[in-house]
Amino acid sequence: MNALSLHKKIENNAGLLIFGILFVSALGGLVQVLPVLFQESLQTASANTMPYSAVELQGRDVYIREGCHVCHSQQIRPLLAEVKRYGPYSQAGEFVYDRPFLWGSKRTGPDLHRIGGKYSDDWHRIHLLDPRSVVENSIMPAYPWLLNRAASAGGDIQKKMSVLVKLGHPYSAEEIENAPAALEGLTEMDVLIAYLQVLGTALPDDTNQKVH
Amino acid sequence: MDNDKQQFYYDDVVTRLVQFSLIWAVIAMSAGIYIAAELIWPALDFGQFWLSFGRLRPLHTNGIIFGFGISALMATAFYSVQRTCHVPLFLPKLAWFCCYAWQVCILLGGLSLLAGWTSTKEYAELEWPFDIAITVIWVCFGVVFFGTIANRKIKPIYISNWFYGGLIIVIAMLHIVNNLALPVSIDKSYSLFAGAQDAVVQWWYGHNAVGFLLTGGFLGMMYYFLPKQAGQPIWSYRLSVVAFWAFTYSYIWAGPHHLHYTAIPDWVQSLAMVMSLILLAPSWATMINGIMTVSKSSEKLRDNPSLKFIVLSLAFYGLATFEGPMMAIKSVNIVSHFTDWTVGHVHSGALGWNAMITYGTFYFLVPRLVGGTLYSVRLANIHFWLALSGAILYILAMWAAGVSQGLLWLSIDELGQLSYTFNEIMASMTPYYGLRLVAGLLFFSGTVLMTFNLFMTIKGRQTVKVNPPVVLASREATA
Amino acid sequence: MLFKLLFYPGKVFNELSIEDKHAITTVPRFLIFVLLLPPLFSWLGASQFGWRLGGSEPVFLDTTGLVVFGFFYFSILAVGFFGTVYISRWMATTYEAKTSQSLHFSLFTVVCAPLVIASAAHLFPDVFFNVLILIPALIWSITLLYRGLPVVLGISSERGMLMSSALVGWLLVAAVSLLGICVGLWINGAAYVLGV
Repeated sequence: MNALSLHKKIENNAGLLIFGILFVSALGGLVQVLPVLFQESLQTASANTMPYSAVELQGRDVYIREGCHVCHSQQIRPLLAEVKRYGPYSQAGEFVYDRPFLWGSKRTGPDLHRIGGKYSDDWHRIHLLDPRSVVENSIMPAYPWLLNRAASAGGDIQKKMSVLVKLGHPYSAEEIENAPAALEGLTEMDVLIAYLQVLGTALPDDTNQKVH
Repeated sequence: MDNDKQQFYYDDVVTRLVQFSLIWAVIAMSAGIYIAAELIWPALDFGQFWLSFGRLRPLHTNGIIFGFGISALMATAFYSVQRTCHVPLFLPKLAWFCCYAWQVCILLGGLSLLAGWTSTKEYAELEWPFDIAITVIWVCFGVVFFGTIANRKIKPIYISNWFYGGLIIVIAMLHIVNNLALPVSIDKSYSLFAGAQDAVVQWWYGHNAVGFLLTGGFLGMMYYFLPKQAGQPIWSYRLSVVAFWAFTYSYIWAGPHHLHYTAIPDWVQSLAMVMSLILLAPSWATMINGIMTVSKSSEKLRDNPSLKFIVLSLAFYGLATFEGPMMAIKSVNIVSHFTDWTVGHVHSGALGWNAMITYGTFYFLVPRLVGGTLYSVRLANIHFWLALSGAILYILAMWAAGVSQGLLWLSIDELGQLSYTFNEIMASMTPYYGLRLVAGLLFFSGTVLMTFNLFMTIKGRQTVKVNPPVVLASREATA
Repeated sequence: MLFKLLFYPGKVFNELSIEDKHAITTVPRFLIFVLLLPPLFSWLGASQFGWRLGGSEPVFLDTTGLVVFGFFYFSILAVGFFGTVYISRWMATTYEAKTSQSLHFSLFTVVCAPLVIASAAHLFPDVFFNVLILIPALIWSITLLYRGLPVVLGISSERGMLMSSALVGWLLVAAVSLLGICVGLWINGAAYVLGV
């Protein structure tokens, strides 16, 4: 009955109730989420992982804007069939420059984490313009408008890179300065394909992975 | 308390919020039906960027959760907090501000999603200007709600208010942390967290938005409206106390079960799985409390469509809160993750639990708000059958689709090669997607019937003015 | 009786409600069809045509596989049926309904009838074809449950509505548990190979 009489106090006092809810609900986050945020290994880039170049970054933002992550995951689980289907499983160190992460929660289409280098640029172009011309039965939407928009229209690339520098991405002043020139003449289609082609290519050297 | 300007409850704002909620339900469900159709006929986007699946899907989810869900929760919170505290709303003008500002925010937010502004984080897709606006409105909501509680004339704070309080406090915490980002421009920002850490933070938010908004918030609705309609006090007070705190404590740990077998630390996954299983206990305790309360109700419930919906919603609540922990078990999750089973699970909660309990509440609330009788009981009964068959058909279609996807993706032949290509499996989903579309249409047509029914009930009537009852001195709150 | 059971369930419900001697002794006998017919149909279908799981090639099980599958199917039906009767009698006390065992047996036998007939779809074991046939049957069964329960168990239709909804909740949970158990067994190697 003691616990109940304590509860009588809480339910008679709005301040105590508010504090109680906040305290009890925050516990889980403090014990489970906070340590993850300070775990060094999760923010250390694996050997070959580099920050996205200006072109790839702009492409990634097109990927985000079109909501590709709604139907495509970017996370290969350490399961035999999954590794056979998509390639070596995903590791935390490969994602340290992913803001936000794009692992997704649904595979209406296949996983894209190791899509880089699997198809030619031309294949991607045709596929994005008319998916069903290369993949029979595909239910992917077409993205014709990407062809008509200049890559530089997708937001100020220098501003983007300097914001990312503040968040710890190692871009040099020179890279930032040359960024607009790199986007010169490219369409959103080009930068999106550049991003797709770099996805998952930064595999750590020790690729002998243990599958569950 | 003597200088109260108004002696009757502020219910106009409740009526208005109910109307907005109904409108959002119709808009967001039609978006859902449209994208369900796009999965069968991808050409339905007609080459228009704003009709593209990747942009319409967040509109569907945000419209349901924040448009339909939050409007309904605000309405019922404002209605019940006045009656459980026996005082009119604190700062009624601020309540009106919450009502309209929220609608404007969701409307513009929805348009921004179509324009491609997105942070990609599920159920938190809106970009930073909206995140700030939501925070401001949310704080105002909290001020009105807790201000009313502070003014209360009944000493104990009723159970429903604990859940609404939990909704306000915890969602504020989750929303602020998960949306921490550095803005680049009005439509773009970069998350403060990266990669695996971002994933953990996002699912801490995502899972508990389900927990404290779609479960906790709507439990607040249940704890007020179910005993009201059954004409019975809640079955076990002690059970509700235990269930509330156990729920608040354990829900928050379960988020990383959305990330089983991904590149986050193993201990986080295992802990999330264990806590998800524990979560079953408080969830079902609450369900049992609700069902027992109803079963004690008297026989005067004839032709009461409202209670039917609420009881059915508890059945689906039982399903969803059982299915969730089950899918959090790692060996089940191997199959269910990334498939349509997840989609089915979400809808058993959203259609079966959230929508049905809201429908039940609205059928009860609206005639009382305007002092009339329901325009048509018959339509409401038809709605019940449409909702039941729609929800069950939806769940079955997604179970069948999800389990086949999960198993076929993983199946390996005698030579150790994959048995099926991704494309083969995807193509075999079309019939299930067709069934799902039919299910969605059934459920949607029921919602349209209800919207018509309730608007006809409200039409030409004013919200009635209700005075708080006289409070016995013995139960009066000490200032 | 079988004819009446299929085409005039309302009459059967009424006879059961007045505890008509003939009805109350005859109806539970049909239970044997409920438990045996679906596995039988499925046996025939699986051995003659092979399962089409959505992939292109039909899957044929060997004899052991067929026996195991048939037995598993039968056990699920038996456990499901007796479990439902047990739960429903347990609930009946809460809703002040009749708790007589034979009444509950009869009620669920009638409720299951459409599903048993529809299980003939197993003769052609294409997953989607089966889903398409079984879903309307399921909806019809649920309707029978809502209609029949208050009549047979002698409670008001409002209470019957509540109790039926509670039973639908139990059935949904049972179904999803079954799904979970199967998936768990499958992952751990009970059926054909998965790459996990």
